[in-house]
Amino acid sequence: MNNQRRQFIRAGAAGLALAGIAGCAGIGGVASKGRVVVVGGGFGGATAAKYIRLLDPSIEVVLVEPNDVFVSCPISNLVLGGFKTIADVTTPYTGLEKNHGIRIVRDRATAVDPGKREVRLAGGGALAFDRVIVSPGIDFIPGAIPGLAAPGAADRVLHAWKAGPQTVQLRRQLEQMRDGGVYVLSVPEAPYRCPPGPYERACQVAAYFKAAKPRSKVLVLDANGDVTSKGPLFKKAWSELYKGIVEYRPNSKAVDVDARAGVVKLELEDVKGDVINVVPPMKAGAIADPFITANRRWCEVDWLTYESKAAPRVHILGDALQIAPAMPKSGHMANAQAKACAAAVVALMGGEAPNPAPTLTNTCYSFVSKDLVVHVASVHKYDRRDRTMKAVPGAGGVSSAMNEVEADYALNWAANIWSDTLA
Amino acid sequence: MTRSALALVASLAAVGAQAQQPPAPPDFAPSNLTPAGVRALAATCASCHGTQGRPAPGSTLPGLAGKPRDEIATSMTRFREGKKPATVMHQLAKGYTAEEISALADHFSRLPR
Repeated sequence: MNNQRRQFIRAGAAGLALAGIAGCAGIGGVASKGRVVVVGGGFGGATAAKYIRLLDPSIEVVLVEPNDVFVSCPISNLVLGGFKTIADVTTPYTGLEKNHGIRIVRDRATAVDPGKREVRLAGGGALAFDRVIVSPGIDFIPGAIPGLAAPGAADRVLHAWKAGPQTVQLRRQLEQMRDGGVYVLSVPEAPYRCPPGPYERACQVAAYFKAAKPRSKVLVLDANGDVTSKGPLFKKAWSELYKGIVEYRPNSKAVDVDARAGVVKLELEDVKGDVINVVPPMKAGAIADPFITANRRWCEVDWLTYESKAAPRVHILGDALQIAPAMPKSGHMANAQAKACAAAVVALMGGEAPNPAPTLTNTCYSFVSKDLVVHVASVHKYDRRDRTMKAVPGAGGVSSAMNEVEADYALNWAANIWSDTLA
Repeated sequence: MTRSALALVASLAAVGAQAQQPPAPPDFAPSNLTPAGVRALAATCASCHGTQGRPAPGSTLPGLAGKPRDEIATSMTRFREGKKPATVMHQLAKGYTAEEISALADHFSRLPR
């Protein structure tokens, strides 16, 4: 970004902050019903910003996002397999500005202050809000894998669990690995972002090895007692497509790494690898720390409004949430929650009651090879007695077998959900 | 048998009875078929079928906006009843009531393509 553009944005942000202090901010002479600041432009935040404007253009929406493009976690495992590039899973934010009049502040939020009703920015200044939507995704629990704090360790032992530069770096590590080497993937205890993601990743790396480095191995060290999503389908793919390549070890929780030696330390043994990919245990993104109420990791909300149980006027979305029963932490789920949240925020700002019967859906496709796919799907509705979302009994399910038809559907799903989120 | 042992047996029996009791069926809120409620319901279709039922250019997943009402309602009902083969829609359609399907079909049929 050149200096002029940066200054322009800074001035814009300052102007917005001033307008907010004055109360109901107006754009282009149209009286505004108030301002919503959205923190985080992932599947949750970007969708919420867009749908608020679709439902009520008189509400001003400001999106705070430090990255200049959106990089999708879904489909990004195919970059590791060598079947997609990072550009294929990257979308600009310009659609939100051009099509929906959302102001994007390219900065990092440093604090959400419900008392002062402002979001403070790393670049200085603050944005006043009537309501704020916090969609921070995940961060890793500090110190959970102590060896990652050693000098240079985090550059050598990647997580690649936030699609972007690490995805590209991990692919490079795999390309540079000798044939006959071992790729070790460490999976954290559930709940974590994208339940089927690690097992899809194992398939993608195995597909690459099978074609390019057939003497190499994929070793999955799973902290869980079994594959946490689509288990029989993944195991079938490993035994039928990647026999002798993928080895799966349940109950194998990583407690530390030695990055220099290329070792993952389990509770009872050390496992050596040529490429070590450790996905550490997760919590809500750090900006949401003041709103964490569950197990010191996740944020609880009212499922009708997504309002935090810790602070009024603060709505929280996506992977940062303490999940309801059978609810995955997924991009699709964050997109679905965002629409329910947007509708509730619009209702509340208009002095109306929120929808008493929200519905959420989820569909997760996993590529077990270049062109074979399996899915898991579910529908979730609001339970009045327990005040939570519950999966509708009898609805949802998984693919009957890995198949090519759903590879086409998966890519079209991706194009459509990226468009629903950002265009 | 001591009193505490009796209490233990009683509490174990209670746990046993609890374990055998099936979980209470969900108490789902009745469908909200107001205009805002139907819009919210329709938004759940958008992740795969595009915002307001208009998919991204070149999508092989069908659009819903402007489709005849009966076409949408019949497809969804047959998916729901397992009479129309599908990869995923037979599973998702079961999450919607007949009234919700009817309202969704109305809604999408009235949107411009």
